[in-house]
Amino acid sequence: MAQTTSTHRVTVGDGNTNSGNIKDSFNTTVYNSGEDAKIMRWLSPLEPENRHHAVCADRLEGVGNWLLETSEFREWRGGEGGADEAVLFCSGDPGVGKTYLR
Amino acid sequence: MAGNTSSLAIDSLCDQAREEDIVVAWVYCDYNAQQEQTVINIMGALLRRLVGREIPEDIREAFEEGRRPLLADLMRMLKIAISSLPRVFIFIDALDECLPKDLAEILGLLRDVVRESPQTRMFLTGRPHVNEPVQKYFTNAVAIPISPNRDDIRNYLEMKLDRDDEPEAMNMDLRAEIVTTILEKMSNM
Repeated sequence: MAQTTSTHRVTVGDGNTNSGNIKDSFNTTVYNSGEDAKIMRWLSPLEPENRHHAVCADRLEGVGNWLLETSEFREWRGGEGGADEAVLFCSGDPGVGKTYLR
Repeated sequence: MAGNTSSLAIDSLCDQAREEDIVVAWVYCDYNAQQEQTVINIMGALLRRLVGREIPEDIREAFEEGRRPLLADLMRMLKIAISSLPRVFIFIDALDECLPKDLAEILGLLRDVVRESPQTRMFLTGRPHVNEPVQKYFTNAVAIPISPNRDDIRNYLEMKLDRDDEPEAMNMDLRAEIVTTILEKMSNM
C-alpha cells in the first residue's frame, strides 16, 4: 500500500506538468494541444490514468479474476435495465486484502 | 485489494470499449491525496475522461471566461457529456478513503447522474463501513463482498515461493506442502 500511495503523490504532482493530455490531443495542432491540455487541467488536476497504471503494475496475475465471472458483475456490465441495477458496490476489508494479496 | 478489484474491472471494460461504443471513467480515492481529491476535482476528473477528444464548445467557453469552474458548472457539463454517449461506466475506488465530510456529497452527486442519465453504470468500492451510506443513496445497489478466495491465496503463495530468497532450500515436495498446509489452515478459520 505504501508503494501505491507514494506513486499516487507523484501522480498528483504530474497534474501540474504538461505531460497530461498527450493522448487526447494527439491528432490536433500544436496550439490546440496546449490549449486542450490547459482545459483538461482546468477541469481537474487529478490524473486517474496514472494511478490506474500504478495499480495495474502492482496487480498479481489471476488474483480477483473471479469477480469478473460473477453473475452480478456480468449483469451490471451488460444490463439494459434502468437505474435499478446501475450500481455495483464491492466491499472488502483492506486488512484482509493487503495482508494476503499485496 | 479494492484497488486490485477496480483495476481489473476497469481493464475489462476498457477492453470492451475497443469494440463497443462505451466510455469508462474512474477515480481512485487515496488517504494521502485528500487535499487534492476535493469533490470538485473528483467530478472534474470524471468529466475529463468523458469529454473525449473533441472538447465541447460550452466547456471551452467556460474555460475562456478565466474563472475556476464551480461544482454546479462541472455537474452540468458532466451530464451534457454523458447525454451524448450511449453507455458510460464510472468507477470510484476506495470511497472510504475520501474525506468523511465529502462522502455523502459525492454519493448524492453520483445518484443525480444515474437518475438523470440511465445509460450510466457505477462501480463503487470501499471498506464494509461505507456500505450503509452507499445503500442509503443507492437503495438498489448490488453489493458484492470481496475477500480472497482459495485460488487467490494459492496464486499469492506461488508468487511468494517463486521469489524465495533461498531456492536451494526448497524442493517441489516442500513447496506443495507449504501451499496445502496454508490453504487448509485458511479454510479452518
